[in-house]
Amino acid sequence: MVFDSALLRPMFPILAQTAYEHPLIYLDNAATTQKPLAVLDAIQTYYRTGNANVHRGAHFLSDRATSHFENARTVVAEFLKAPEQSHVIWTKGATEAINMVAYGLEHVLEKGDEILITSLEHHANLVPWQQLAFRTGARLRVVPLTSSGEWEEEFAHYFTDRTRIFAATHISNAIGCTTPLSTMLALAKQQGAFTLVDGAQAVAHYPVDVSELDCDFYVFSGHKMYGPTGIGVLYGKQHALEVLMPYQTGGEMVRHVSYQATEFNVLPFRLEAGTPNIEGAIGLAAACDFLSEQNRPALLAWEQSLANHVYTRLKKYGGIDLYSPEKNTTLVSFSVPNIHVIDLNAYLDSQGIAVRAGSHCAHPLMAQLGVTGTLRASFACYNTLEEADRFCDALFDAMEILGDD
Amino acid sequence: MTDPLQAADIKQRLQECRSKEETFKALVTLSKTLPRLSADDKTDANKVKGCESAVWLITDDCQGIRHIKADSDAKLMRGVLVALISLVAGKTLPDIQNMDLKAELAELNLSSYLTSSRTNGILAILDRLQQP
Repeated sequence: MVFDSALLRPMFPILAQTAYEHPLIYLDNAATTQKPLAVLDAIQTYYRTGNANVHRGAHFLSDRATSHFENARTVVAEFLKAPEQSHVIWTKGATEAINMVAYGLEHVLEKGDEILITSLEHHANLVPWQQLAFRTGARLRVVPLTSSGEWEEEFAHYFTDRTRIFAATHISNAIGCTTPLSTMLALAKQQGAFTLVDGAQAVAHYPVDVSELDCDFYVFSGHKMYGPTGIGVLYGKQHALEVLMPYQTGGEMVRHVSYQATEFNVLPFRLEAGTPNIEGAIGLAAACDFLSEQNRPALLAWEQSLANHVYTRLKKYGGIDLYSPEKNTTLVSFSVPNIHVIDLNAYLDSQGIAVRAGSHCAHPLMAQLGVTGTLRASFACYNTLEEADRFCDALFDAMEILGDD
Repeated sequence: MTDPLQAADIKQRLQECRSKEETFKALVTLSKTLPRLSADDKTDANKVKGCESAVWLITDDCQGIRHIKADSDAKLMRGVLVALISLVAGKTLPDIQNMDLKAELAELNLSSYLTSSRTNGILAILDRLQQP
């Protein structure tokens, strides 16, 4: 393995602490990642040397802030391989981005139209569409999984001439499997549907090329890819973004206002009402730079090898129901029959190990898997093999302690 | 049947825990003393809303004394239930209503287990204990 995660750890000072007198082991990266010094420094530097409001006030600091802020947009556009930086809209996160699209497309939907999602969706890519369906009389449909968690072989018939919107996750947050996006997006496009991909779980691990994916919208959150919280991105194709009705109005997004009417600004400003999260955008650009400076295929291979190592140990130990794929994933999701995941989680926490227990904001998926929740260990580039082994050992100890009646 | 002496025992045992791991093990040990509810008793009406794990709680006032049966699908919660039930064991409903259960709970050294999302569930349990 050419990659050595130990070299990255000094860049993440938060990891060098103890939790309940144990070395902290952070395996909740699918919820949020830790932030490298480069991101922390970028935010500090912005406030120390460049803080001013953007796009207004012709003065030294405002020009500097505007330049850094718009440069951040360019960095993110290049990170996504988006053709134009104006196709990158800043949002609070993936959730807000999806809501912007769900509200923005309301005017194109008619009663009886269909909104299609998949069984893997996080509530963030489900509830906004469900509520949109309630508001418009459209029908929410779901491409299902089989009981063993595989895609149904024949899912093409879910894409109909009534499908107006198709929204799918890139990678499942709950069980780590990948959506067959190219097939599904092609089917959606054949029907003339708007397409949205939720990339929240993908951007930290996989190179994303929105031009190649050819989706209308791609959304993600900064905090899941080593960036700050409170910043995310709505990428859209020009025509798709232009169709969106702004779901917030106010300053910045206007060109001219009178009491009688308002002329909206051009993209990207048309969809960015109010003073934006400037520090967030600059921090997110620093996170993109951090990732771009790494050997990304090696990072991904390392994260996948940690997940596979844990998967293999859990499978070998036995008595554990695994829901994530064996390979090509960066997380392991599982449950232990007759032991509640929150009890397992509590023991792991007492050993300084952070994981996630619960439904992972995916109640319908949990119901399909026949569980109330799973335990999820999710890996990032700074995790070590020793941490993966300590997690497994602690889990087996927990099963021993908890499984005796 | 728990009695006040056992409540003092439980309190002492929990207060002696010096780490999260010790509290974990103490709750696991306590959980084993909780008589489990039958499937028939695990009704929606008996379910306490707002808990991270499923919790069922049944109160029965017999000759003035409030009897409590409870269960959970999570073991640590069963341990917590044993501790909570011990606080009110052998008491009448007016006695229980006059107790500051939150303050009594705070003395049990369980704060690291009663995280914000779970606290809501705990408060709902305390509420049930004091409801007519």
